Amino acid sequence: MTRLFGIETEYGITIDGADRVDVVEESMQLIRCYQQGAFVPLWDYRLENPRRDERGFEVKNLLNDADEKVHLQQDRKRKIPFKELKSDLIIYNGSRFYNDHTHPEYSTGECISLFELVAQDKAGERIVDICAQRRTEVLDQGAVRMYKNNTDFEGHSYGCHENYLMDRSVPFERILKGLLLFFPTRQIFCGAGKVGVEREDRAPIYQLSQRAEFFEVIASVDTMHKRPVVNTRDEPHADAEQYRRLHVIVGDANMSEYMTALKVGSTALVIDLIEADCLPDYRLKDPIAAMKNIARDQSHAWLVEVEGPGSRLVPAVEIQDAFLALARREFAGRDQETDWVLSAWEDVLGKLSRDPMDLVGVCDWVTKKWLIDSFCEAENLAWDNPDDLFWMQSQDLEYSNVDRDAGLYYLMESQGQMVRLVGDDEVAAAMSEPPSGTRAYFRGRSLEKFGDYVSSINWDRIVFKRNGRQHAVDMKLLVDAGRVQRYNEVLDSSETLDSFLEALEKV
Amino acid sequence: MDKVLQFERRTKPVDPGGPGPGDDGDGGPARPKVERPDTRDLMRRMRRVDPNQARRYRQRTGE
Repeated sequence: MTRLFGIETEYGITIDGADRVDVVEESMQLIRCYQQGAFVPLWDYRLENPRRDERGFEVKNLLNDADEKVHLQQDRKRKIPFKELKSDLIIYNGSRFYNDHTHPEYSTGECISLFELVAQDKAGERIVDICAQRRTEVLDQGAVRMYKNNTDFEGHSYGCHENYLMDRSVPFERILKGLLLFFPTRQIFCGAGKVGVEREDRAPIYQLSQRAEFFEVIASVDTMHKRPVVNTRDEPHADAEQYRRLHVIVGDANMSEYMTALKVGSTALVIDLIEADCLPDYRLKDPIAAMKNIARDQSHAWLVEVEGPGSRLVPAVEIQDAFLALARREFAGRDQETDWVLSAWEDVLGKLSRDPMDLVGVCDWVTKKWLIDSFCEAENLAWDNPDDLFWMQSQDLEYSNVDRDAGLYYLMESQGQMVRLVGDDEVAAAMSEPPSGTRAYFRGRSLEKFGDYVSSINWDRIVFKRNGRQHAVDMKLLVDAGRVQRYNEVLDSSETLDSFLEALEKV
Repeated sequence: MDKVLQFERRTKPVDPGGPGPGDDGDGGPARPKVERPDTRDLMRRMRRVDPNQARRYRQRTGE
């Protein structure tokens, strides 16, 4: 592909048999299980400001829901220092692993290859699973279970965010125009599926998406309450004059490798279209309602109301087809991964039009629906029976269990029923190897070679301490391929920190 | 950082310039070729899932 992207996943955590779990403590302890020795806080929080809005202002406070306000009051009574609570780790593969809002979060390093991103994302699952096994041994209580999903079925959602580096000069209105059309409709293929509705009527139905019902406004900087379809957080982690980082919070966490790749690949192509000012000629009348209605539509017609002369209903597939046609016209033949995305996108949209159930083993929502429908039939479960619905939600949860010996997704995978894009050996390598060709390599390898000298780190800066002096390496400009290659070559060829820092000054 | 645990290192990188995953050799995409699974193992495993697992599963709001 042609731009940097990455995925950050907040995991759900519980302990088998426990009626109550202290998720603050357990999330922190789970992260610590990655380490052999004492925790050394290195993450530099001074370089972060999630309150800054890309529309040119800063909000005073980020919003929290009523439950979370109570929890935060209770948290203040804990005597755990902030950095200890966050437990930020940076892994040699260039990723960040830490406790984010009581959820262990794994943020991949920056990737430019779609399939490397899939391997890095799956490596995160493996690392989380290994930490859960270690925590289970330490606790000697019940198995610690980790879920790559987005809800507790009771109104508490947590995210799987995507990040895309894009051109700062693109007018915000054009970004809105493209994303308000694309995001509500892309869930027809990359939704993870969910049993039940958590708000409003709490209808006992199957939804396409875990997250769709949690979005309430068009655009804002918030992420935890009154969530926006387009998040405007302005933390580019790159040269702010040239770039913005599109922080996408509408997506579900995907277990399917195919859907992770198609979700990120199609979105990257849509950003290409936005930058090229080449967008389909549709405008949704109400993007928020469209997002919720599509998720709940049991007919799978997925009709959305579009504006314009003679306001009319249009299938979401038609809108996705329009994006695909433009992307094919503009970018076909550009590179191998782009062509893979175009073909996969077309293939999946075609099957969704004809019979979505042909995508068992490909789409998470279809696979999960097939599993739950089969189970309901075998056990004679009824959607309007609350006890039966809880059992179905338990199956939904187990689909996303990252324990490969227990999770339902992994049972399907072990039977050869899930389409794979990366091999187990590639995932294993990605647990310690950074993605190639980006600054993630520089970050991960710098830590591996000279970690004893690192005094602080963030996505775009590493500070080394040598002979009592601080030496900051600014990585904001490390986004173009040529500069990345030069920096990485210097790192690979340097034997000592002194020679490394001296050589960097000449790059 | 020497205290950070090292997982087993494999050195087979993904080749971004190589054939796409699932490529049929003609440059085409990976076409999903999934037969409908045998449900017996799946149903046996699903019956073992605690019916109250979701009822007990309570998280805090994240991002």
